[in-house]
Amino acid sequence: MKINYSLITRRTFLNTLFGGWLLTFCGGSFYALLKFAFPTLGKEPDFVVLNTKDYIDIPSNSTKPFPWGGVLGLFFKKDSGTMVALKGVCTHMECNITYKPEDKKFYCACHQGWFDEDGKNIAGPPPKPLEFFDVKVEGEKFIVAKKGIKVELPKA
Amino acid sequence: MNCQRLKNWFEERYDFEELKRLTKHKLVPTHQYEIWYYTGGIAMFLFIIQFITGMVLAFYYIPYFEHAHKSIIEIVTKLNMGWFFRSLHHWGAQLAIVVLFIHVWSTLLLKSYRKPREFLWFSGFILLGISIFFGLSGYLLLWDERAFAAVRVATGGAGNLPIIGNFIKAFLRGGIDVTGDTLTRFYAFHVSILPLITLFLIGVHILLVQYHGMSVPLSLEKKPQKQIPFFPNLFYKDLIIWLIVLGIVVTLSTLLPPEIGKKADPLAPTPENIKPEWYFLFLFQTLKLFPGEIMGLNGETIAIILISCGILFFFLIPLFDRKSSRGEKSPVFTWIGIFYTVYFVVMTVIGFLS
Amino acid sequence: MLKIKLAISNWQLAIGKILLSIVLIFITTTPLWAQDKIEVFPTVPYDRFIIFQTLAIFWIAIIGLIIIIRMKLKEIEKIQKMGIDKEEKDIPLLD
Repeated sequence: MKINYSLITRRTFLNTLFGGWLLTFCGGSFYALLKFAFPTLGKEPDFVVLNTKDYIDIPSNSTKPFPWGGVLGLFFKKDSGTMVALKGVCTHMECNITYKPEDKKFYCACHQGWFDEDGKNIAGPPPKPLEFFDVKVEGEKFIVAKKGIKVELPKA
Repeated sequence: MNCQRLKNWFEERYDFEELKRLTKHKLVPTHQYEIWYYTGGIAMFLFIIQFITGMVLAFYYIPYFEHAHKSIIEIVTKLNMGWFFRSLHHWGAQLAIVVLFIHVWSTLLLKSYRKPREFLWFSGFILLGISIFFGLSGYLLLWDERAFAAVRVATGGAGNLPIIGNFIKAFLRGGIDVTGDTLTRFYAFHVSILPLITLFLIGVHILLVQYHGMSVPLSLEKKPQKQIPFFPNLFYKDLIIWLIVLGIVVTLSTLLPPEIGKKADPLAPTPENIKPEWYFLFLFQTLKLFPGEIMGLNGETIAIILISCGILFFFLIPLFDRKSSRGEKSPVFTWIGIFYTVYFVVMTVIGFLS
Repeated sequence: MLKIKLAISNWQLAIGKILLSIVLIFITTTPLWAQDKIEVFPTVPYDRFIIFQTLAIFWIAIIGLIIIIRMKLKEIEKIQKMGIDKEEKDIPLLD
């Protein structure tokens, strides 16, 4: 059915076509630019492998730092002799925490947050407890993994 | 879309009517030579491309001589489309300088520099010098053998200027030799000092064009001018030409990405057949013309003095060309302009071929 | 007069449809831009086809844009020749 009039004016048609095309073109180019400018975000590792001998002999009630991706990890030997590993990062604003052996607590200097031996947040602003890792002994190596991650090492 | 409400919000605070009136009234003469009017806009568009690609590249480039070369290789191999943006920056620079030279020669031969537009010429000339320095400083950032040798020769050449030569050489190099300090200095020039000066001078240059209007060639000045409005007619034509230029730059970048040589070693011998970037070739060919000694004086110093005089004359041409300031035909200066153009082209080609 | 106007607008609609489909292809292949990763540069032969395809689409986009701008330009010139774009002086304002 042919109609005797045009549904849109020439001007509207032209302007919409121009605007739409220009938008697509600029959008596409800008997207390409952004792809280049946006940094590759690092991912936290699922697990980390450490030498047993470096960590097994630390004195009780002390910690030893180890690298967890780019972030601080702490190997913690409790009074009882149990070895655990945790992420040494405060759950408030991601400052590095330190262990105070006299108080048997973890302390974050940024906003005076305190965590107890098991990582529970007991004082100050931290909203959540510290994150602990699973530690497994595999021969001469410690495998420190995120809780729940199943680690399958390649057969060397 | 609530465009009307947004417009009202602004119009209650700012008087756009005056601006709209002014833009509608801007007229540009149209005649057989009007194609040269576009060269300035194309140069500015290419500079905008350079600014944008340069800014993104600066996210990843490391301006320390130990890591500079490797950071570029990382950009080009590891990052998403890194090779493309580096290539775009390279070809944008080459084309920008070509278009700048075309812009300069066209204003020279059409005598747009004559009264009252002398300051347009002066600011433009300084902008040309700055652009060439942009090219040189950017080239060193590669820190490969060619760039290192090229900068050594260029700064050494500047050092041959009488009296001020050594001062300039030391200032550019950041020391006696081309070292890591030179890289730091050239990086500061390339990403901070030169862009700010360029922005200021381009602002002045464009404002002066708005103030004076477009210059009409002497032969057509006396006749009645047909004029067309800038908005939207010429603006659309500008856009079309800029899109074509964008297409050319992108095609060149995709099909002919630039290479990078081996990392520079200050103690290694200079590689064979070292040549500066093409826009310096005419200078070095000219230097080669002069013998080592002329009448007991150092040939190179005399060559540099003569070249400097030539460049100084070029800079001050609006003041020398009295006839065109009076609005009369000035064939002498047309021939001088043709001589400069032909000399530049011939010397560059010879330098390229040898 | 109306028939001519209708004929022109039909033709424009047809061109518009073709352009729209090109635009849609263009949009769907835009993510391809992100995939242009050169593994090693510049000696190892790379995946040229994606690059050439992207280049071709880019040129089609640019030429399409140029055609549209030319259409706008012709439109403006037609209007200006008719002289209807100038504002009438002393036109009564609605207050």
